[in-house]
Amino acid sequence: MKKFLALLLTAMMALSVFSFAGASSLAGEYDVTIWVAQEIVETTKAQVEAFNQTNADGIKFNATIEAVSEADAATLMITDVEAGGDLYCFAQDQFARLVQAGALAKLGVAAADFVVNNNAAGVVAAAQSGDAIYAYPLTADNGYFMYYDKRVVSEDSIESLEAVIADCEAAQKYFAFEMQTSAWYLASFFFGTGCVSEWTTDADGEFISVTDTFNSPEGLIAVKGMKKLVDSPFHLSSSSGAEFSSGAGVVVTGTWDYNTVSGILGENMGVADLPSFEVDGKSYHIGSFNGCKLMGVKPQVDAYKAAALHRLAQYLTGEECQMDRFNKHAWGPSNTVAQASELVQANPGLSALLAQSPYSLPQGQIHGSWWDIAKVIGDDVKAAQDEAGLQAALDNYQNKIAALFTLSDEVKNGWTVIGTVNGTNWDTDFTMLKTNAIWQSTEAFAMEAGTEFKVRKGLSWDDNFPAENFKVETAGTYYVQFDEATGTVSLVAAE
Amino acid sequence: MSQNIVSSKVEKRHMGLKASRNLSNTAIYLLLVAISIIWLVPFVCILLQSFRVESTHQVGYVIPHVWGLDNYKNLLNTDFPKWYLNTFIAAMATAVFQTIIVLCMSYTLSRFRFKLRKPLMRFMLILGMFPGMLTMIILYNVLKDLGMTQANSVPGLILVYIASSGMGYYVSKGFFDTIPKSLDEAARVDGATRLQVLMKIILPLAKPIVIYTILTAFMAPWGDYVFARYISFGTSSGKNVAVGLYDWLNHDQIDKCYTMFCAGGVLVALPVTILFMCLQKYYVEGVTGGAVKG
Repeated sequence: MKKFLALLLTAMMALSVFSFAGASSLAGEYDVTIWVAQEIVETTKAQVEAFNQTNADGIKFNATIEAVSEADAATLMITDVEAGGDLYCFAQDQFARLVQAGALAKLGVAAADFVVNNNAAGVVAAAQSGDAIYAYPLTADNGYFMYYDKRVVSEDSIESLEAVIADCEAAQKYFAFEMQTSAWYLASFFFGTGCVSEWTTDADGEFISVTDTFNSPEGLIAVKGMKKLVDSPFHLSSSSGAEFSSGAGVVVTGTWDYNTVSGILGENMGVADLPSFEVDGKSYHIGSFNGCKLMGVKPQVDAYKAAALHRLAQYLTGEECQMDRFNKHAWGPSNTVAQASELVQANPGLSALLAQSPYSLPQGQIHGSWWDIAKVIGDDVKAAQDEAGLQAALDNYQNKIAALFTLSDEVKNGWTVIGTVNGTNWDTDFTMLKTNAIWQSTEAFAMEAGTEFKVRKGLSWDDNFPAENFKVETAGTYYVQFDEATGTVSLVAAE
Repeated sequence: MSQNIVSSKVEKRHMGLKASRNLSNTAIYLLLVAISIIWLVPFVCILLQSFRVESTHQVGYVIPHVWGLDNYKNLLNTDFPKWYLNTFIAAMATAVFQTIIVLCMSYTLSRFRFKLRKPLMRFMLILGMFPGMLTMIILYNVLKDLGMTQANSVPGLILVYIASSGMGYYVSKGFFDTIPKSLDEAARVDGATRLQVLMKIILPLAKPIVIYTILTAFMAPWGDYVFARYISFGTSSGKNVAVGLYDWLNHDQIDKCYTMFCAGGVLVALPVTILFMCLQKYYVEGVTGGAVKG
């Protein structure tokens, strides 16, 4: 028995030596599961096969490709990360949840460079949490624009929301724009007037702060414009291209509905960027979200398999494969070279998206609850009787957003420095520490004369000092000190 | 003369009764017709949509412009046959095993007297009050360790479906209680074993309840979504029809798959409808028969 055991151990040692000898390269066979949308299962099969044939590292994937909707991927992954797909595609709104669940492997330096150098900036931001990048952009066509029936809406009207509504009402056709059930569409009016809802996440995918200006004078203008649309008897809260076969004259939706709409309307189909609305004599072009789909690599136990998977992910999200998907399925590429190609530029759906892009905001990381909180605005606006009602809708919204951040006591009671400090522009808080009843900034700032700042409590403006911005008179390197008892702010020169 | 008057009065009253009965019957039938129309409309719509071939997305009309069987043919090119087979295997196996377990359990509790019989029944009553969903996560992990999730979901699902079937004995025990014990005793005197009593005396008498048990055992896995979704997650080949069809309603699929979804729905409803039509008579007897004595 002992002999046998010794033999076995020796054999294992020998084997491990071999495996280390071969480990200098990634060559080998790997069994992997890849989750992609039903539509591209066959295409992906062919692409993985092509990767197996062409890669220089001798990597061979035995891939099982499963059809999993990008809208479902996060829910399924979080069910059981271990049993989830090794490579999987998902819509960007699920990104933060996946990072929090530890279901995405962080990209190494080279892979991160690959993402940054080859993709549009807004798309890169979608794959980023804290400073790290966690996913490979797959498409950049998750935005919306206007499809219209040329028999209903005239070419002269498409610039103006009021004119489009009038045309629809005259023809007794519906204007479908999903205002009551989807924050994704509803936010367009707010973006049109310059409102933002920007969320920041830390390296763990946790949401740490939000800059949200929906409840503002601009936000009020936005809901006034929205009211014009939802009050029309011919407004329909839907975003399905199929509505054209049941009485719609205009539908706001995305490239995925292109084949459906062109199938129904044929040569009567028109596409355009969203129109402008007018409030108090001023015109505002309706904005939009511009989102993308991403491909993620599941964290792996086997480092070689992980490295090989990253190679495959880079191949599948590279220019060649993105163009392949564009040609076969009209998926709009995120790769900048592919975006610039003539074929992509000539696609009517993508060109409408391109025309809308100056007014669109990249969909960064957004708190999962935001979608439910914001979508209520549509119903509230419809129900509102007057301006006070509209304002109440916005107040309601803001209260719910504020409640999302139950800050820790430490942050809530802590003071921070904010201003034109260290090259920031009133958008970054610098920590302060309390010693002997005096708060002092943890770092010294090199300040020029004229630098302005304030200190504030709990990352909000409810408590802030001094009343007027503190102005630095003499350039130098200073710590900021604050006496909470007296409310005096002072500078202490750093040695 | 006076007699004549009386008889005509009786006649009149009689006619009046009949007329009012007719009137109330008409009203009731009209109501029933209205209710059945309301009830049938969705099914008719799904049936009609499944024959629509001019487009695959949702439309604002019910009667197809172009009729055809394309949707049914297209189903064959998807994973639908696989899902159908999965569901069928799971439902058949559950029907067989669950029926055996339930009948044995009911017979035992109805005819045998043993220590702990009452506590056992009470224990099962209390256990049955916990929703099965509570066990979902632990069940998933156990099945995963046994290698019965994802692509191998069918045996796992069968296990889940039949695992607690012993606790569903109430209706059939109630029915068995109504069969006179003297029948058992007579058979025992003639030398029959307990099994023979069950097989040859009780079961032939309890045909309605057997069929009721088979039907309910078949139906649960046939329409199950929650467990099937959980256990087959991330694979297409492990799905059952409910999970597979539901995934076609995702916003990126619905415009391409809507009519096919309707065709799938019709095919799913088919065996259950046929089963019910054939066994309707027994089903009603089974449900009410068990209610006599509990």
